[in-house]
Amino acid sequence: MQIAAALGLVTVAGGCARTVPGTNPAAFGLKDLYDFNAKGKVTLLHMCDLHAHIKPLYWREPSTLISAPNLVGTPGFLCGEAFSKHYGLEPSSLDSYFDTYMDFDALAEKFGKMGGIAHMKTLVNEIKRQRGAENVLFLDSGDTWQGTGVALKTGGEAIVQAQNYLGVDVMVGHWEFTYGKERVKELIGMLDAKFISQNVVGNDPFADEYEELIFEPYTIEERGGAKIGIIGQSFPFTSTANPKEFTEGWSFGLRLDTLQEYVDELRDVHKVDCVVVLSHDGFSVDQEVARQVNGIDFILSGHTHDPSPKPITINGTAIMIAGSHGKYIGRLDIDIQDHVVKGYEYKLIPIAANIIPADPEGVKLVNELYAPFDAEFNEVLGQTKGTLYKRDTFHSTFDQLINDAIMDEMKCDISFTPGYRWGTTVLAGDNILMDNVYEMCGITYPNVYTFELKGARIAQLLEDIADNVFNANPLYQQGGDMSRLGGVTYSITVGAKVGQRISALMIGGKPLDPKKTYIVSSWGGNLQNAGENIQEDKIRAVYDVTRDYIRRHKMVDVSNTGNVTLLDYDCGCPSKGGGC
Amino acid sequence: MQRRSFLRGLGLVAAASAVITPSMVMAAEAPTGPNALTIEAALQAITGGKAVVVSPLVHLKAPEIAENGAVVPVTIEVDSPMTEDNYVKAIHVFATKNSNVRCADVMLTPANGAAMLATRVKLGTSQAVMALIETSKGEFLSASQNVKVTIGGCG
Repeated sequence: MQIAAALGLVTVAGGCARTVPGTNPAAFGLKDLYDFNAKGKVTLLHMCDLHAHIKPLYWREPSTLISAPNLVGTPGFLCGEAFSKHYGLEPSSLDSYFDTYMDFDALAEKFGKMGGIAHMKTLVNEIKRQRGAENVLFLDSGDTWQGTGVALKTGGEAIVQAQNYLGVDVMVGHWEFTYGKERVKELIGMLDAKFISQNVVGNDPFADEYEELIFEPYTIEERGGAKIGIIGQSFPFTSTANPKEFTEGWSFGLRLDTLQEYVDELRDVHKVDCVVVLSHDGFSVDQEVARQVNGIDFILSGHTHDPSPKPITINGTAIMIAGSHGKYIGRLDIDIQDHVVKGYEYKLIPIAANIIPADPEGVKLVNELYAPFDAEFNEVLGQTKGTLYKRDTFHSTFDQLINDAIMDEMKCDISFTPGYRWGTTVLAGDNILMDNVYEMCGITYPNVYTFELKGARIAQLLEDIADNVFNANPLYQQGGDMSRLGGVTYSITVGAKVGQRISALMIGGKPLDPKKTYIVSSWGGNLQNAGENIQEDKIRAVYDVTRDYIRRHKMVDVSNTGNVTLLDYDCGCPSKGGGC
Repeated sequence: MQRRSFLRGLGLVAAASAVITPSMVMAAEAPTGPNALTIEAALQAITGGKAVVVSPLVHLKAPEIAENGAVVPVTIEVDSPMTEDNYVKAIHVFATKNSNVRCADVMLTPANGAAMLATRVKLGTSQAVMALIETSKGEFLSASQNVKVTIGGCG
């Protein structure tokens, strides 16, 4: 495709089949999910950002996804109505349920849970049956080992077993690294798949690995008579987004110059027929990567959790990303002739747990992995009145619940909860289990720190975080959402210059006083390093703080009213050019 | 590996020894405050007001987002034959928004064989890192790149 497209010889089909429109969802079945316009001899299967969800779950997509003005309405910043319009979704269809927040609660009743390795495996088996197992390659864009209680308690091992069961062939990483360097190496030892990354390099001048690659940069796999070169790209900002101590001595970064060198090496020296970048850069960043690096056929992206039913093509490179939490598997059939990619067909397949039957072996494995923790995880802590969900740019209900719990226990003025995009959804009226709390905040550095910060510093930190989320240049974005703030309200002009976005900053209902010292609680970030007088006796794991709060309240009723006023857009999911 | 590490070690030492201390800054640069120097004043002091041309011959490599603002790796390579009649005389490195912008001045001769410098700079805030090249013909060439320094913390 790279070469063919450049010569203008073929019109790439740009194939993307979608599950059949669901005017009558009841008639919708397994056949529609399996249905595929097969092409060529090679099939790549792609998953990203499983976040250790080996069991099916509910996962509601965002109702706000705000970006810098230049990126509004582009893939990576689409949600709700704008998403539906862009990809032509049928209202109330299975696709609409999987890809958007619209009518989520009602459709959840109708269609049930999503994902789960036992259901994924049935689909993988069916595709291998259709195509021949020897022609199928299973690629994983990372954020696989972390995100649930069972992952945390087994130090990631349960999820490595799940990957081995699924038959993952190659992976890259991000949250994987939060188990620490030594544990990462141990887990790679247990993993059947290859762990590759061209952008992780030693930076300790006293270590043997100084300026050496930590992992193999690429692998060459033969499938369907073709040589596929796969280059690994782990999350470029791991050491700023997560605590440095986990990866001390390893340097990350985009490293586009060496990426270009490996693309050239695969083509010129190893004569591969197809170059794939398996990436955890994020959907928006990878569009920029495709602009700057030549000769890549496909980027299989991850990190930003976008379900993208259609690939996008930039500079001859097709980019796809397969959602999150095990909700989808992307199937990519590639037609390779005379050592050149001639065309492809792609489908983002929703793992609808009520439609795709569970593989009994997978059910058995999941039960075995959970058995030691069932008593703790299945404790009913309380009930929720409204739907608890994670995502959205500034505010979501489960984060608000965590902030409420922290403010209640720590008696702080302000609570910071990180803007990760992983978590879970608990439907209105449902029980909240301890397992759900781990799904929201099960991390290896769970401590809530309570400390002092001057008003001026708080304002500066908020601007700093806003610039990581809303920078107009994708290469300077870190791919998360805005930190969630308890006790604070503010207004924001997303399109304003760095340092000038935030206004009307109020703490406890009063305007922020730059000279005043505030008590701040924070977890999951580095903010405590900027603070003073950390209250050592209050330090406690966020999942314990949240658990105890829900236990005390039994019924939680979290407000779904945001604490942020957006000044330059008038709705949550703007279409191209702003507006709704 | 051992030999490479050793050679790289030497390279680092060479680069480090070429870093001038603020006390060596020429009096003509007239600092405006304690140890303060703007980019305009620093460029003026080096070029004497001659034009500085942004040049594709100057390759400056720095991370988009600093992993640690205190030690940001920067590499500068200049396409130059490094012959007696055409070589790079000096590579100057600036952190354009530090209170004192000058980070390193490295003087070269044709005997260096290649015009290349790898070093670490300390960045107080997000800013452009700039390389200024002085050639044996008296031209001034430059390249710069923005580096973001952030406390980070959102995954």
